[in-house]
Amino acid sequence: MHPLLRLVGAITAICIGAAVALALVYSATKEPIAEQKRLKLLRSLRSVLPPFDNAIDRDTKELDLGVDTRGNPVTKAFYLAMREGKPVGTAFQMTAPDGYSGDIAILMGVDPEGKITGIEIVSHKETPGLGDKIVKESWRNQFKGKSLTIGRLDVKKDGGEIDQFSGATISPRAVVKAVKEGLKLYAKEFPDGRR
Amino acid sequence: MADAKTATHPGEGVAEPIAVPRPSRLKVWAQDFVNGVRAENPVLKLVLGLCPTLAVSTSVFNALGMGVAATFVLTGSNFVVALLRNFIPGRVRIPAFIVVIASFVTITDLSIAALSPELYEALGIFIPLIVVNCIILARAEAFAAKNPVTQAVADGLGMGLGFTLSLLLLGAIREVLGNGTVLGYPLFGESFSPVIVLVLPAGSFLVLGGLVAIFNLLQPPHKPQPAGLAGAEASASGGH
Amino acid sequence: MDLMLLFIGTVLVNNFVLAKMLGLCPFVGVSRSVENSIGMGMAVVFVIFLASVSGWFMDRYVLTPYGITYLRTLVFILLIAALVQLVETVMRKSFPALYRALGIYLPLITTNCVVLGTVILIMNKRFSLVEMLIYGLGSPIGFYVALFLISSIREQLALAKIPRAFQGAGIALITTGILALAFMGFSGMVRE
Repeated sequence: MHPLLRLVGAITAICIGAAVALALVYSATKEPIAEQKRLKLLRSLRSVLPPFDNAIDRDTKELDLGVDTRGNPVTKAFYLAMREGKPVGTAFQMTAPDGYSGDIAILMGVDPEGKITGIEIVSHKETPGLGDKIVKESWRNQFKGKSLTIGRLDVKKDGGEIDQFSGATISPRAVVKAVKEGLKLYAKEFPDGRR
Repeated sequence: MADAKTATHPGEGVAEPIAVPRPSRLKVWAQDFVNGVRAENPVLKLVLGLCPTLAVSTSVFNALGMGVAATFVLTGSNFVVALLRNFIPGRVRIPAFIVVIASFVTITDLSIAALSPELYEALGIFIPLIVVNCIILARAEAFAAKNPVTQAVADGLGMGLGFTLSLLLLGAIREVLGNGTVLGYPLFGESFSPVIVLVLPAGSFLVLGGLVAIFNLLQPPHKPQPAGLAGAEASASGGH
Repeated sequence: MDLMLLFIGTVLVNNFVLAKMLGLCPFVGVSRSVENSIGMGMAVVFVIFLASVSGWFMDRYVLTPYGITYLRTLVFILLIAALVQLVETVMRKSFPALYRALGIYLPLITTNCVVLGTVILIMNKRFSLVEMLIYGLGSPIGFYVALFLISSIREQLALAKIPRAFQGAGIALITTGILALAFMGFSGMVRE
């Protein structure tokens, strides 16, 4: 066989083998990956909402919120939690753009009266040991039961009721601000509680 | 000690590269295996594969995940490369190795996403970057391409274990001292204030630098260091 | 202004070596002399920029439309390997002087994780064309800056009396750690 032909043949054969193997693995893992994502979403939804019994990942309401700076349309999904046919809460994601070193993504749950049922930090890039204390449960629990009218949603430094951390005020402040904006958005989109 | 493994003939088609006083097969595999863990520990001795080592060793869990993932890729690619070593023409061997390695990495990537989203998120970009982990291409080129399949697999497992152990050591030190936990469980009381710098990028360099030095001390000196440097200054260590 | 911040952020705040911990093998391996580090740095800037541009177009017009983004790793690493080969050939034929200076560093670049890391991060962050150009330039310049700094320090260190155990990689890593501490001062200045 011509040496060049052998060269090309060998590398082609290896590439085809690799492509086939990868396509197989991809199709085999596609379902489990989607399922894992769904389970993860459900876990976080359960942690910020009161107990619910509906298929919440299908009971969503998509809202158009205009376009972002790059012109891509922005939609936000509101997850509607029901228990025995009655609405018990709504969960949605907010982004705090003013964290210390990047965006902080927050999942928050609100009950029909507009009180916070829980928040969870989905992702963040805050400094380990300082700003990253925002993921601690004891800190996040301070938000529970507060609303725009009940309790003061501000860090203590700004006269509110939420702890800041020594050496790190920026991260908690950013989260508080985003949560407040979330409550305002909720009040605007669901003016009479949720119906 | 490393003779059995370095008895590599550059040409192709050498089926049994082991030299005359032939040790039993099991012994050769064991030697290849231990070699990767100790004498040629990829991280601590050869100082290879640093990016994943430093970046994901912030906790024991991440370190273990990365170690297992890299070991899987290393063993898998060593296996396939050794299997195809007489089929791959020398001139295109590097691209061919890269394709093999990248395939195993993609398989690992998809599998981790399907098995543990938490680990997938924690390791992030360092999963695809296993492709360019110098250890893996280096073992494919230096060992797997010249040795039979079983030995290549033993080498892959040994090197992988060496890599994993170094990662675990680093991860344990950083998680215990930098975060006060092991696998997420708090070790000390509330009064413990962790050495935060250790979980930051800067701390990883400091810890690994110290570990490399300790590893050097434990090893018998291979070749004498430049005269005059060895003895006196060792006592004058510490900070500066 | 945002683009300027993106550039500064990539070079200093999220420095690929000192904050993102990418490209460490060549960083420790080639940083013994300033001359080598300049050669390596230039070669890296060149290859990463080309790889970012070609990777971006590849991803946008081939991988995404056909829904085969799971092949990214494989495609990008092959792209980089081919690119390095191409650059080497072109350079040897057309710019022999440049080749003499940078040639020996080129093969090392294929397995430099800064290159693949930059290309993958560009796709993960869904950058626009202009952002990609800036990021693709900022990332290797950050690498260059770190490499240049550490090699200057290591040239001085070569004259210092260092305990035997720390010689070589040990002291290089610890010096890098101290440098990374210094670079932490930039964090918070620009957000990612």
